[in-house]
Amino acid sequence: MFNLYLLFVIILISLLFYFFGVNNAKKLKLQNNKLHSLKHYYGFFALLYSLLPSLGVYFILTIGDDILFSNMIKIYIPTDIINSKDFNFTIALAQINNSVDGLIFGTPPAWVINAANIWKSWVIKSHIITSILCIVTSLISGYLGYSKINHNFRSRNAVEKIVISLLAISSIIAILTTVGIIFSVAFESIRFFALIPIDEFLFGTVWNPQFEGAERAGSGQEGLSQYGSLPLFAGTFLISFIALCVSVPIGLYSAVYLSEYASKKERAFFKPLLEILAGVPTVVYGFFAALTVAPFLRNSGSLIGLDIASESAMAAGLVMGVMIIPFISSLSDDVINAVPQSLRDAGYGLGSTKSETILQIVIPAALPGVVASIILAVSRAIGETMIVVMAAGLAANLTGNPLEAVTTVTAQIITILVGDQEFESAKTLSAFALALTLIIITLGLNFFALHVVKKYREQYE
Amino acid sequence: MNLKNDELTKSINTVGDVFVKDARIKARNVNVFYAEKKAIDEVTIDIGNKEVISFIGPSGCGKSTFLRCFNRMNDTIDICRVEGSITLDEENIYDKNVDVVPLRARIGMVFQKPNPFPKSIFDNVAYGPRIHGLADNKSHLENIVEMSLKRAGLWNEVNDRLISPGTGLSGGQQQRLCIARAIAVSPEVILMDEPCSALDPIATAKIEELIHELGNDYSIVIVTHSMQQAARVSKRTAYFHLGKLIEVGKTKDIFTRPQHNQTEAYISGKIG
Ligand SMILES: Nc1ncnc2c1ncn2[C@@H]1O[C@H](COP(=O)(O)OP(=O)(O)OP(=O)(O)O)[C@@H](O)[C@H]1O
Ligand SMILES: [Mg+2]
Repeated sequence: MFNLYLLFVIILISLLFYFFGVNNAKKLKLQNNKLHSLKHYYGFFALLYSLLPSLGVYFILTIGDDILFSNMIKIYIPTDIINSKDFNFTIALAQINNSVDGLIFGTPPAWVINAANIWKSWVIKSHIITSILCIVTSLISGYLGYSKINHNFRSRNAVEKIVISLLAISSIIAILTTVGIIFSVAFESIRFFALIPIDEFLFGTVWNPQFEGAERAGSGQEGLSQYGSLPLFAGTFLISFIALCVSVPIGLYSAVYLSEYASKKERAFFKPLLEILAGVPTVVYGFFAALTVAPFLRNSGSLIGLDIASESAMAAGLVMGVMIIPFISSLSDDVINAVPQSLRDAGYGLGSTKSETILQIVIPAALPGVVASIILAVSRAIGETMIVVMAAGLAANLTGNPLEAVTTVTAQIITILVGDQEFESAKTLSAFALALTLIIITLGLNFFALHVVKKYREQYE
Repeated sequence: MNLKNDELTKSINTVGDVFVKDARIKARNVNVFYAEKKAIDEVTIDIGNKEVISFIGPSGCGKSTFLRCFNRMNDTIDICRVEGSITLDEENIYDKNVDVVPLRARIGMVFQKPNPFPKSIFDNVAYGPRIHGLADNKSHLENIVEMSLKRAGLWNEVNDRLISPGTGLSGGQQQRLCIARAIAVSPEVILMDEPCSALDPIATAKIEELIHELGNDYSIVIVTHSMQQAARVSKRTAYFHLGKLIEVGKTKDIFTRPQHNQTEAYISGKIG
C-alpha cells in the first residue's frame, strides 16, 4: 500500500510541474510571441524531469533496503544459533520474513520474534526515508527542469532525446534478460561439464541419468548414469521433421489459398479460424495425440501388420505439425499478400495462368518471409514439450524409426527438473547443459534464417 | 464484311474517324463497369495494323480501363464487367471459347511502373518464352533473349550481367527490360500504360525512340498524359473524357485543329 501511495504522490508532483511548464510557456509566448516548441512540450519536459529521477531513486531504495536489512539482521541472530551445525542463513531469513509478514507457524523461537520486531522498525524508518528522498528528488529535479524553460529553450528536441533514451533502455532490458538467461544456464552447464566430459555429453549414444549415491566424479567409482545426449537430439529432430512434413505443405498451401484464391469474405472467416489452432493449449494437443492419434496409428498399423508403439514419434510429430500450421500459414499469407500486385499483373500480362504466376513469381518474391515463417515454426517445434511428453514417451531411444517411442530434449528437461532434486547432482545439472545446447541450436537456426532473408532481400525488391 | 460490321454499330458520338482500313483490333460499343459504376461508355474504335495510337485524356477518364480490355486484364479484377465486342483479327476476344493465355501472348502489355520480376535479367526476358514453350532448346532461348534485349535497346548495357537481378537496374533500364520481356513472346500488339511516367526525361527519350522503332513491326497502343509524347510517337490520337471517346484523328490534326470543344479545352490546358 505504502508503495502505491508514494508513487501516486510522485506522479502528482510531476503533473503539477507539467502545468507549471505549460503556464510558463504561455507566459513566454505572450512576452515574446515566438516560442521554439508547442506549449505542451514544455510541460512534458518539466514532467519528465521531475518524474524520472524520483522513480529511479524509488526503485534503488526499495530494492536496496531488502538487501541492506538482510545483511544488518545477522548481528541480531544469537551466536550460538549461528554456530550450531544445521544453521542455514537463508532459512533463518525466511523465518524472520514470515514473522514480519504475519505468517507464523507454531511458536517461533524468541530470537526470530526479536529480529522480526527489529526488522519491522527498520521498514518503517525506510518508508519514511524513501518518501522524503523521493519527494525531495522530484521537487528538486522538477524545479531544475522548470527553470531551464526560457524562450530559447528547445523543449521539443529535449523531450525527443528523453523519449529516445527511454526506448533504448527498454530494448536494453530485453537484451539483458536474454543475456542473463544464457549466462545462468551457461554457469550451471559449466558445473555439469566438470562432472561429465563434454564429448561424452555431445556424442554419447545412451541417455540414462540417475540419482546415485556415488557420483562418478565424486567417488572415482564407475557409475551407472550415462549422459549421452545424442538420442535426445535425434528424437527432437525426428519429431520436428515429421511435424514440418505436415505443417510446411499444409501451411503453405493454405496460405496460398487464403491470399490468392479465397474471396475477401472467405479470408476473413478462415484466417482467424486457422489462427485459433495456435491458441489451443499444447496440453490439449498432447492428450489428443496420446488418446486419439496414437491408438489410431497403432490400430491401423496392426491392420497392415506394422508394429507401432503406443507412444511413437509419429503420433507426436503429426499432432505437433497440426499445431504449427498457423505459424506458417498466417505469416506466409501476410508476406504473400505483401507481394506487389504489379508483379502479378506482369505475369498475367505475359499470359501465365494463375498457378504459374503464383508458383513462379509470387512465391519466389515472398520467399524470405516464407522461410522466416518456416524457421519460426521449426523453433516452435523444437521447443515444444507437452505433446512429446504425452505422446512420444520418455524412452531415450536412438532411432530414426518414427514408429518407435523416442524422447526429446525439452521433455527430458522437465522430467529431470520436476519433483525432488539434489541441486549438486549431475542429473539436475544435465538439464542446464541440455538447455544450453538447445539454445545454441535455436540461435543458430535463427541466425541462419536471418542470413537467408538478408541474402534474398538484396535480390528481391 | 468490314463495312457491314461497322454499319451494325449503334450511333457513334465520337468526332473524327474511328475506323481504319487495315484494322487488327476492332472495339464495338464497349462498356465497362466497376460494380455498378460505368467507367467506359459505348466506345467504338479500330486499331490499325502496325500503327501507333495514343490515348489521352484527363485522369480518371478510363484510358487504363479501356486499354486493359484489349488483353482482358480486367478479368483479374473481380468487380469489373465488360460489355460489347472486341475482335482481334475478326475473332471476338470476349467469346466464351477464347483462352486468355494465348491471347495475352499475342497482345503484350507494359505497365506504368516498371515491374521486373525479382529474377535475373535473363530470366525476366526468358519468362514468357518459357511458359509458352517458344524455345526449342537452350541456345534458341538465349537467342530470343538476346534479340529481345537488342530490340529494346538494352543489350549493350546489360550483356555482361545477364545473371544479375533485374530489379538492380535503373528505372529507365527496368522499363526497357519490361518492354524486352513483352516482345520476347513476339506479340502482335503492345499495350503501354503511361510507360514513361515514372522516368526522367533522358530515359523517356530513349523509350520514345524505341516505341517509334517498334511501331514498324507492331501495333502499339500507348496511354500518356504528355501531349508532347503523344505528338512524338503516335500517328493517331484518341481523346477520352469521363468514359466516353470524344474524338479520334490524326495526331497532327488533334493537336492543331481539334473538332470537339472538349478536346480543344483539354489540349489548351483548360481541363486538367
Ligand atoms: N479496380 C477498380 N475498382 C473500381 N473502380 C476503378 C478501378 N479501376 C479504376 N476504377 C475507376 O474507373 C475510372 C477510370 O479509371 P482509369 O484507371 O481507367 O482512369 P485513367 O484514365 O487511366 O486515369 P489515370 O490517367 O489517372 O491513370 C475511374 O473513375 C476509377 O475510379
Ligand atoms: Mg491509368
